[in-house]
Amino acid sequence: MEKLLNPDFGVMALTIVNFLLLVWLLHKFAWKSIIGALEKREKQIADDKAAAAQARQEAQNIKAELDAKLQHIAEQAAQKMQEAVALGNAQREQLLTESRQQADRLIEQAKAQIEAEKNKALADVREQVVNTALLAAVKVTQQQMNKESAEKVVDEVLREVKSAGSARA
Amino acid sequence: MEVSETLAHHILDHDFGVMFGTLHLPITAHTVTMFCISIVLLVMGILMARQGKSGFSRLMHTLGEEYVAFMRDGIVVPGMGAEGKTFVSYFCTLFLFILVSNLAGLIPQMKTITSNIAITGGLALCSGALIVYCGIKFHGVWGFVKTFVPGGTPWWLVPLIFPLEVVSLLIRVCVLAIRLFANMISGHMVLLSLLLIVFIIGQLSKMAGVGTALPAMGLEIAMTLLELLVAFLQAYVFTLLTSIYAGLVIHSH
Repeated sequence: MEKLLNPDFGVMALTIVNFLLLVWLLHKFAWKSIIGALEKREKQIADDKAAAAQARQEAQNIKAELDAKLQHIAEQAAQKMQEAVALGNAQREQLLTESRQQADRLIEQAKAQIEAEKNKALADVREQVVNTALLAAVKVTQQQMNKESAEKVVDEVLREVKSAGSARA
Repeated sequence: MEVSETLAHHILDHDFGVMFGTLHLPITAHTVTMFCISIVLLVMGILMARQGKSGFSRLMHTLGEEYVAFMRDGIVVPGMGAEGKTFVSYFCTLFLFILVSNLAGLIPQMKTITSNIAITGGLALCSGALIVYCGIKFHGVWGFVKTFVPGGTPWWLVPLIFPLEVVSLLIRVCVLAIRLFANMISGHMVLLSLLLIVFIIGQLSKMAGVGTALPAMGLEIAMTLLELLVAFLQAYVFTLLTSIYAGLVIHSH
């Protein structure tokens, strides 16, 4: 059993030679190309990540710019809306005032017209009353007149009535 | 044959005594297994490096890339820093070689070559040489010698500290060899001992031997599974410690 702990230096030397040769051969025929492919892919991934990060940054910048524009547009729209509302209110007030003035004017005109018609009607009534009173007076006085004077008075009255009728027409 | 002799017969290396002129070539069961493992690893490496279009080729290449990435990002760079990337090939080979050597003993008619102190010693010497090479490469010869004396050490302590640090480095290398050797041989001894129990008891009483066979086989299976775990663990530990020791030399102040 003590042989277990006594190293064979020939085997040890052969192990060293074999192992170093294996390291060299595997480095030449295997690990070198695998490491190369791995590093190439890692570089490509790193480049892709950098490009993605740059694209993301650019997208964020564009988004921020668009947000700012949208904010500006919203502010402008709100301002325009306020102005339009103010203008609408002013126009409404103006229209209301004008309508009120026109209505007042029409009412005044109607009142004046009504007054004029009333006065005219009153004048007509007064004239009719006078005429009727005159006819009545004539008829009263007729009883005291002879035939000739009566006919004269009648004719005169008829003329007057006729002239009054034509004047009214 | 005594039990200890039987155990030794199964575990010890057998020299075929090949002579090349006057030179004795150490062609033993373990070295032949080592050559076989090296050839298998070389073929595997070439298959992994190929970038063919077939499914198998792509699978092998992906496995190779994943393995190299694991070694580089999981062992070499954490242990040695970015400077260690130059030595990724060495660590990739070291881990695979130790792992396959550890597992080879589980295949019938194959030997666990890492249960031979000469082979683990050879691997540890390679790692030791790498550690020294790293020290000289990154600090120069005189700079590397100076790393054996920690900064701030009083001058009168230097004659004491310097040999201690040199011995510490040598011990680290020796411990690498002994740890791997001891772990692998102990597992094999337990497996063989469990088998021998059946035959020893069988010689006393055949019925008792048959009765012992079933629990012994259960223990054998459990121990084999443990051996599988130990094979991976020891390969990982050897590689990781090599990178850490090299890293300590590279980044010593």
